[in-house]
Amino acid sequence: MFPFFTLLKKIIQTGVGKARLLMATTGLGIAMVLLLIAIQAHTNFSQLLYGRQNQNESADFLVINKKITNAMMGQPEKSVFTPEEMEKIRQQPFVEAAGFISSSQFKVTAAAPGDLQFYTDMFFESVPDSFIDVKNDEWQWEEGARNIPIILPNDFLNLYNFGFALSQNLPQVSQETVKNLPVKITISKGLLSEQFTGRIVGFSDRISSFLVPATFMEWANRRFGSGTAAAPSRVVIKTRDPANPALVSFLEENGYSTNQDKVKYSKTKLIVQTIVSVIGFFGVVLLLFALLVFSMFIQLVIASCKKEIQLLIMLGTGPGQLRRYLMRQFAPLYLVTGIVALLLVALLQWQAARLLTAHSMYVSAWPGSGTLAAAILVLLLVYAVNLRSVRKYIAQHS
Amino acid sequence: MALVHFRFIEYMLIQLQRLIPLPLREKLEQRDSDIWNKDVQFPPGQFVKIKAPSGTGKTTLIHYLYHVRFDYTGKVLVNGRSWQDYDKEALAAMRQQQVSIIFQDLRLFEQLTALENIELKRVMLPQPYCTREKVEEMAAKLQVSHVLRQSGRTLSYGERQRIAIIRALVQPFKWLLMDEPFSHLDEENAQRAAALIAAECRARQAGFILTDLDSDARFPYDVQMNL
Repeated sequence: MFPFFTLLKKIIQTGVGKARLLMATTGLGIAMVLLLIAIQAHTNFSQLLYGRQNQNESADFLVINKKITNAMMGQPEKSVFTPEEMEKIRQQPFVEAAGFISSSQFKVTAAAPGDLQFYTDMFFESVPDSFIDVKNDEWQWEEGARNIPIILPNDFLNLYNFGFALSQNLPQVSQETVKNLPVKITISKGLLSEQFTGRIVGFSDRISSFLVPATFMEWANRRFGSGTAAAPSRVVIKTRDPANPALVSFLEENGYSTNQDKVKYSKTKLIVQTIVSVIGFFGVVLLLFALLVFSMFIQLVIASCKKEIQLLIMLGTGPGQLRRYLMRQFAPLYLVTGIVALLLVALLQWQAARLLTAHSMYVSAWPGSGTLAAAILVLLLVYAVNLRSVRKYIAQHS
Repeated sequence: MALVHFRFIEYMLIQLQRLIPLPLREKLEQRDSDIWNKDVQFPPGQFVKIKAPSGTGKTTLIHYLYHVRFDYTGKVLVNGRSWQDYDKEALAAMRQQQVSIIFQDLRLFEQLTALENIELKRVMLPQPYCTREKVEEMAAKLQVSHVLRQSGRTLSYGERQRIAIIRALVQPFKWLLMDEPFSHLDEENAQRAAALIAAECRARQAGFILTDLDSDARFPYDVQMNL
């Protein structure tokens, strides 16, 4: 086949559209670089947000409640989640799990034991165990047990230690001390009341509330509550990506609010996503133009050798042989363009990784597999489109 | 697929069924012909001479047989199938392995040398039928060795014709179509060329269909027809 192609080279001159070929190749090169940068930037940003090196937890928990507005004041039923709303939240793609925070339907008072002058009204809430970040053997309750394990928010202890205690000249307490302090808990509803010993078993960063085991809450609400399950006014959701702009806009649309600190990356992400999309879009547009120019180039080459191609076919050259010959003329060009574009992106990536490391942000020093796959995909696309042009124009002359 | 298919057919049968060229339709109603508007069969391996004056459609017939012109009614059947039923790749395979041609207007590539014109046809098949030495040998027999490296553009008609003859003989074939193949050659050169063609046809157990203006005795023809 090779000696034949050597002779074909003298008959089918591909030099006729050099300027077009150069344009198409340059366009293809730039298009590939843009596309690959867009994909690589996306990979990097994902790595920064969710990579093990950059973050400790793979999933995040958000507590969501309805915004309390002036119009809603005095109407607590407007701040609860209906079953339909709950179902809607569960169906969102970014929500991996969602659970109610159930609140107590009875009065709770807490008193410090012994001589400590401490007495307060308080409340309890409970969430399904899988949403709690405190893993503890003591976190269980069975009917009849007199001890209630309690989880306090970390913020609460901090408020006490650094705000309240200092200003009131009270002693600061450590977590260990608090855990060793039994608290006298009285729960009541009307005339009915019962006493328990509360034990602090842990401190939660995740849920800002006084938590008791769900089993206890169910039992107590049944015994002391109104009997009907109360609608939840707070919902905890588990999500892989609290910075997901879709999550943030979902919350905004429905008038829900959550811990803003956790969703602060969403704006950054949105901006980066927009920039990346715009770059990618230009890459795609440029790629289309490059493909168009390639097709025009192929048409020109074949039209300029129309007579020669007709004679070759007449002498018995198969259309397939001509196609293979022409593709062999063009394909190395794409391959080289693709490799150069990939090398360029690799260089940029290496540089970016180096610069980011200086700021304690870690991205891979190599282009991601997605980038490589995209490069291969683009090359295959160019090949397929050009093969189609060659097939079409050869068929016209054979 | 086509290539494999045709390699195993040992012969190639050409049949004409009431073939009439559209441009000659009215003329042909007024005279008789051995070929036009008849059912004709060319059995494999025969040496066929078709004699006809100018303007009666010699070149047209050769082009119909080679399937490069299609302005006719009737049918050209090859191995029982109409030429129209062969797709482009199958047709190419036939032209590479079953049927060869010497065009009246020779049709060499001017941008190639004489040798390259021959080589083009020889190496078109991935496994060439004959060797490069064989080409040199044939060129020597036809006394064109000295022009092999010359550009096709600078060759005389006589030289071109001999190059076109060699080009037609470097491939395998069952039929060789020749359209006034000796028109630019003197008698001595024509004899040499005819001897070479006859030898090559016998080596392949192939036949030929030759059209010319006059009668001649250059070949031991099996069939002589008037167009």
